[in-house]
Amino acid sequence: MVSRLAIILAVGLFAATAAKADQGITDTEILLGEVEPLTGPPALLGVAYNVGTKMAVAEANAAGGVAGRKLRVIVEDDGYVAARTIQSVKKLIDVDKVFALTSLSGSNGVAALPVVEKAGIPTMASIAPITPLYQPPRKNVFVVGQSYEEGMYQLVRYLARKHPGAKWGILTQNDDYGVALRAGFSHALKDGGINVVFEGEYKKGQQDFSSDILRARQAGTEVFMAGGVLAETVAMVREFEKLNSKPAIGMFWPGRVPVTLKLMGPAGEGIYAVDYVETDDSAAVKAFVERAKALVSEGEVKAINRYSLASYASTKVLIEAMRRCAKTLTWACTIAELEKTKGFETAVMGPISFGPGVRFSSQAVRIMRGDAASLTYKVTD
Amino acid sequence: MRSGHYKESVPSLIVLSDSTAVWVWGGILVLAMAMAPYFLNAYLLSFLVLILITGTGALGLHVLTGCTGLISLGHVGFLLLGAYAYAVPVAKFGAPPLIGFLSAGVVPALVSIVVGVPSLRLKGLYLAITTLAFAFIISHVVLSMSWLTNGARGLPVMRPELLGIDFESDARFAHLCLVVAVATLFAVLNIQRSRVGRAFVAVRDNDIAARTMGINLQAYKLRAFMTSAFISGIAGALFGIYLSFVSVEGFPFLMSIEALAILIVGGLGSTAGVVLGTVLIVLLPEVARIALGMLGPQAEMLFSTAAHELRTVLYGLVIILFLRFEPRGLVGVWRDVKRLWVNWPLRH
Repeated sequence: MVSRLAIILAVGLFAATAAKADQGITDTEILLGEVEPLTGPPALLGVAYNVGTKMAVAEANAAGGVAGRKLRVIVEDDGYVAARTIQSVKKLIDVDKVFALTSLSGSNGVAALPVVEKAGIPTMASIAPITPLYQPPRKNVFVVGQSYEEGMYQLVRYLARKHPGAKWGILTQNDDYGVALRAGFSHALKDGGINVVFEGEYKKGQQDFSSDILRARQAGTEVFMAGGVLAETVAMVREFEKLNSKPAIGMFWPGRVPVTLKLMGPAGEGIYAVDYVETDDSAAVKAFVERAKALVSEGEVKAINRYSLASYASTKVLIEAMRRCAKTLTWACTIAELEKTKGFETAVMGPISFGPGVRFSSQAVRIMRGDAASLTYKVTD
Repeated sequence: MRSGHYKESVPSLIVLSDSTAVWVWGGILVLAMAMAPYFLNAYLLSFLVLILITGTGALGLHVLTGCTGLISLGHVGFLLLGAYAYAVPVAKFGAPPLIGFLSAGVVPALVSIVVGVPSLRLKGLYLAITTLAFAFIISHVVLSMSWLTNGARGLPVMRPELLGIDFESDARFAHLCLVVAVATLFAVLNIQRSRVGRAFVAVRDNDIAARTMGINLQAYKLRAFMTSAFISGIAGALFGIYLSFVSVEGFPFLMSIEALAILIVGGLGSTAGVVLGTVLIVLLPEVARIALGMLGPQAEMLFSTAAHELRTVLYGLVIILFLRFEPRGLVGVWRDVKRLWVNWPLRH
């Protein structure tokens, strides 16, 4: 009799434990946390990313939330400093007790990986999809996007087909971003057909590119890969303009925002770019902006750029996984459901999929060209 | 609390402290910090770890700037060098962490000679600019030597196992930082009461007079550089382990400014000031966040979403206020409080 009672108690205890929700969930609310640079130069991407998260959360709440609970996001600014990323992540997990993280900041998020891995909290890290975030795959960390290496590879192959026999130049930043771009470029070189006449590297924070671009021009560069983030890419393009040189210029998605084209002026006309989110003139993005007008502030609508779309898609995937868990919402269930994500449509990028041991969605990229008049990028042929 | 100091012998003048109360309270503080990891959550514990690491690094700068009067803006260069000197042998070549820590101290100390020698003829602003250039050169060299340092990709660093003790958990790592910080504090206090320390102070106060008294300026300035770099290197290694990833980006130039701010706010030239300054500078943003939180969630949100800029503003504001109203720093305030306590109700 006693042993039977003990078994019943044990089973009851196990069932209660198994059904017990993880932190960040009350009867009416689910807390989400987000770390990103909201001040300083990288704020351009952090603020925009935050708008995308707000949009996804607002839409989910308008549709009734998750199992009747409203979602709320707590945002932390790390200023793109690794030590502060760690602090912010720890605060969100231990003090605010959020249920899941919708962002782990940019490449500096790598420093916070041990913290989130140890905590086991479901985490989306999609601002800067760099390899260490998803390779080796971590059980609870999911990345929506495409690698810089693959993006560069596809852009170079496209331009090599468009400009056969051309002389190539490349200028990249001396950080992990630049390393990734160079790796993609080297990969494309192995396929052959590319004659590199100028290769350069600049120090992060460099403002003046006159000598680099002069050397690129003197080398006879006809196709130039501008490996800057934002201001650097603008400066490189403007230097070519000053020298009355008009090579075909390719740039990367961190700089594929309207403000870049605005700063470039007429020199930005026809610039090549690569990205995995929809172009600004697409119906999906136009609809996104229209919906944003009703859900976020006027200032936030103005801040929308490609990072908002990346964040929106990433957060939508997370919310969908939480919805599928519904009333048994736990970290384990959410992670399991995230893993089961297959061909999830968000309209702002291609279908998103993860799988067992696959924590990187590896989105398909498209080549685009800048339109200086409308300050938008349009998909090429 | 006693009201004065009456010294009868030279040893009593240079003893670390002849006050039982100081030793007892010091012991209680260390014990409290040793027990804290078992009671604090991971977030609060990270503040304790940051205070200990930052304090160790600031003590390194204190030897150079506070004791010897040589202004350095290149402190972050030594921290970075220490982090890599630990990470390269341990993470890349699988050397024992003890070798890594030794390397983290020795490599910056040796490199400090390179920056120290040209700096022997420089003082004040000129020296500051030279050391500033050194910090940039170091980061450039680290990025260039990608065959050794992994360049911009950086090196992942695991928590160490030392003398059979695994420091994997946050609590254990806090204990390691505590041991290093306390050992560094005692080392610096002992240096200050030695002949070398008194020579440092003489160089700081009046280098011509010090030379007249037979102090070899070159030798002592280099010694100050090496000691400072050694301590800073160890702090850099600990910071790299804390970040779990050593890269140039993890050591922004602002760290040099923060270290100088700690010395100024604490009280230039005072070891106790370094401790007080570290606690204030590390905790200031969090205290401000809590204070703003009392004004309502909107105010707290403002701090969360503009934390980086507000922190910078806070640091600047605190430095300006201390320079204007209390140039002796927190140590000066502490001394005034003590005097007020002892002499009350009389004027202090």
